[in-house]
Amino acid sequence: MFEAQEVNAEHKDLIHDVAYDFYGRRMATCSSDQFVKVWDQNSEGKWILSSSWKAHSGSVWKVTWAHPEFGQVLATCSFDRTAAIWEEIGNIGPNDRGVRHWVRRANLVDSRTSVTDARFCPRWLGLQLATCSAEGIVRIYEAPDIMNLSQWTLQHEVQCRLPLSCLSWNPTMSKMHPPMLAVGSDDQVAANGGKVFIYEYSENSRRWVKLETIGTITDAVHDIAFSPNLGREYHILAVASKDVRIINLVPVENEETLQTGVTKLDVQTVAQFDDHSSLVWRVCWNLTGTVLSSSGDDGLVRLFKMNYINSWKPVAVLKGDTPQTKDSEQRTTSSSSNNGNVISPLSQTARYIKLGTISQPRDVPWH
Amino acid sequence: MEREVKTFVIPNELCKRAGITATWLTVDQLSVRAFEKRNIKLPDAPSNFLSDTPSSIFHLRQEVILFHPILRKLVNESCGVFIAVQNLIVNKNPADYKVELFKMSRQYRSIIRACLENLQDDLSEAKGQEKEQLQNYITIFYSVECIWHLCEILFVDIIPGNLVLSQLLEWIRFHFPKHERNAATMLASESVNLETHQDYWNTVFGSLLQGRVKIVRALLRPHSSADHPTFKLVDQVLRAMPICSGVNGTSINEFNIQWRHWTMDVQSKIDAKLFSSEKHLDLIMRLVVGEEKAWIEIQDHCEAWYEFLAGWMFYTEPTAKSFELGQYAKRSITKMRVANNLKHLDRVILAAMEFDIFQVIKEIQHMTENGWFVAHLSDLLFHSSRLTSLEKEVPNFSAEKLRESFILEYGITLMGHKSLWPVGLSYLDHCTHDGNQVIALLLPRIPLDNEAKTLKIIREAKKRDLNDVVQCICKAQGMLSLKRGRIGNALCWALKSQDGPFTSYLADKFLQDYIKNGKLGSTDLLDNLGSCMLVSDRLIFLGKYFEFHKLYQTQKYKEAANLLISLLASKIIPKYFWYVLLIDAIPLLESEELLFSSNDTFTIMHCAEQKEDLPELKDKLNILKLSAARNLARALTYEAQNE
Repeated sequence: MFEAQEVNAEHKDLIHDVAYDFYGRRMATCSSDQFVKVWDQNSEGKWILSSSWKAHSGSVWKVTWAHPEFGQVLATCSFDRTAAIWEEIGNIGPNDRGVRHWVRRANLVDSRTSVTDARFCPRWLGLQLATCSAEGIVRIYEAPDIMNLSQWTLQHEVQCRLPLSCLSWNPTMSKMHPPMLAVGSDDQVAANGGKVFIYEYSENSRRWVKLETIGTITDAVHDIAFSPNLGREYHILAVASKDVRIINLVPVENEETLQTGVTKLDVQTVAQFDDHSSLVWRVCWNLTGTVLSSSGDDGLVRLFKMNYINSWKPVAVLKGDTPQTKDSEQRTTSSSSNNGNVISPLSQTARYIKLGTISQPRDVPWH
Repeated sequence: MEREVKTFVIPNELCKRAGITATWLTVDQLSVRAFEKRNIKLPDAPSNFLSDTPSSIFHLRQEVILFHPILRKLVNESCGVFIAVQNLIVNKNPADYKVELFKMSRQYRSIIRACLENLQDDLSEAKGQEKEQLQNYITIFYSVECIWHLCEILFVDIIPGNLVLSQLLEWIRFHFPKHERNAATMLASESVNLETHQDYWNTVFGSLLQGRVKIVRALLRPHSSADHPTFKLVDQVLRAMPICSGVNGTSINEFNIQWRHWTMDVQSKIDAKLFSSEKHLDLIMRLVVGEEKAWIEIQDHCEAWYEFLAGWMFYTEPTAKSFELGQYAKRSITKMRVANNLKHLDRVILAAMEFDIFQVIKEIQHMTENGWFVAHLSDLLFHSSRLTSLEKEVPNFSAEKLRESFILEYGITLMGHKSLWPVGLSYLDHCTHDGNQVIALLLPRIPLDNEAKTLKIIREAKKRDLNDVVQCICKAQGMLSLKRGRIGNALCWALKSQDGPFTSYLADKFLQDYIKNGKLGSTDLLDNLGSCMLVSDRLIFLGKYFEFHKLYQTQKYKEAANLLISLLASKIIPKYFWYVLLIDAIPLLESEELLFSSNDTFTIMHCAEQKEDLPELKDKLNILKLSAARNLARALTYEAQNE
């Protein structure tokens, strides 16, 4: 059973991206209204808007938090061809009521087209930001001095030749694996070949090397996400394309890889779900990488879970529906407190509403 | 497949029209919102959903009933038993711990029963929705206890000779306590015509079905016609009923012979219509000899098919072995005509009686108690080697992985709670495969609400050698302290995280603050740096410079002078601090007592010459040079005299 708390996001248009900080206590939202908003969860669990500012002069596509060891830092990317680094200054703390605001520490203007995704690297790699753009270039920026966020140097430019829509850092932390990135293209032409590229940073040549183009995915890719790694030898990648794909990338060790120092990957599609029966737009892993959520053209969110023998099954569906009023109780299964609009804006404590369900033969199954 | 997938409704019009997407925020929370399905090549324009009604974000969380105050007690206490089970396994070989495991199983059950009692207590005071909720919990945990008890009998306990009946009766008696209670009240009332009591015959038959022959006899005695010959005969017959006590082959055979004789004797009495004057007594007699028709008549007395089953077995198959239970269970279900009407609890009980452990585990995942039951029971069954045997039967099955997946899931659920997370850790600790990785992933994400909690998390991380987690937490705390303007605190955290660059940065801050306002802060910390200062050169310098200040203030000028010289000779002085050190030298050079040797003075003069161009030194340079020259003169004279 699920219960839900509604937060009025106050954006004037649909929200493109929501990002939560490391602890899940702060939320950043961005929208076509060119604004970025930051929210804090108070001790009663209610989300309070703490900052709101016009961040770009075009739609803001993505927003992402840096790890808290670098301070309170956000990156955004926009249609206005830029990516930006923001830092919160002033008294920062859950209980400090002092003045706080976000300042733009850096404006990354190297792209000539819309910057479609921006992601910070895993924390042990320092403070690096990868961006990708519609012109087909991945850029890796780095702040050499983490105490001075106004200085960012463009370390690498990687040409992918296809319009890029999304990227994901491999979060696997291990001395065995060099930094790895996956990039997706939403190019519509199947004849242009694979739309997912895997790159690895080669310490020897000091550049990013393409390890693999995933040839089995020739349809446009809208989102891509590495799964959190629980000490596995291999990496798991989720891809949102015309269906949901879950792909295992298994490093192969042989003489060649030992000589060149470049990883070779065995690409295995372990699951393929066309439950949406339409295009898939987003994929997102839970913190432990055991549940994947996907969003499709059918307007639904679907959850997939891995069972104990590593096979994937759909487990739940979320669906938006017209809020019910008291006089038109159509579904008997939904709880009586199912009136989403009764949240009082004055109350400081979080209110949760129980979510109604349609058809409930069983709870989440495993086997 | 699709049928098994539950659909949850987000009550929002915009979400319906635009479609929704989801992002995870914590272990157990999912954020859902309306979004625009947008190709990157489209021109930048407001979406079709631009409107005055702003869009909402929904934070979904799973309802975890275990976080209810009463159930939290269950969570904490069962964790103790869980750990005891794990320790048992480590320390002993399988042959030894079988008996112990059975005791542990009983402990688990007594925890559930205590929990049920607490729930009952609260139920009497609760109202409205809360009452409904508590009632719901009671139903859930009652079923849990019922299934656990049966599983304990069938899978954990070692039953001598596999004669399952007495345990089965015990289970039934425990879960249908009504008859025993009624019998006790009736017998206590000491009335002479008990049959006027409305539950009288119900209780007699109930007790009969539970195999409590003595109670049946006791109940018949206060009947108003107890002196009637039929009553006396029934009492005699029941008294003569053989009881199966032994377990070895001969005694079972002996018992079977006795039983056959006894039933033949009863049957002949029935046939002679000796009981026909009292229809209730006649039914009792026909039941004890296992007459089909009689058992059909009695069905309505049974609340559940398994109550029927136990009674029927007692009088017709008293020496049934446990592996035969499944077939009798099915027969009872058919006889009771409930096959199409089996509830969840019935299905689990049937699966257990059929020894289909795999099915039992499959079913008990749907008990909606957030995995408490399946995690603990499958762990217990695993250690009783009950799961391993399934590996041969079920393809792709791994007992160990199954056990771990449930415990992992349960542990992760607890990790999501603001105060139960340490309990969650105890479970994750016993997941040999993925446990440590999950801890490494989740531990640093626990919100650090206060310093005590932070230190506790760090302790837990250190206990598990998760140095990276410790570093990560300390660095984040250091940064937070710095942003709050607490440099001393920040330095403290930086030292804990052994973060060189950050420490240097903070040491610089200290020194620059000193330049600005002439004060060194956090003196306690600087005083107790010890070997910690080796993390960064800048910190070493800060520590040494603080020492210099201390010596100077306590008027140990000679030592101060020596320290100053060794600092000047070292290569760790920050550029911006040179002039401070040189100016610090002036009063020492001018001191009445001779503090610097000629060599020392040369060092100072050499440094001053090198740093001549420093703008901060400009107006002090002449004084410095003069003092140095005067000190040099003194030193040379002194050194010449003492040679």
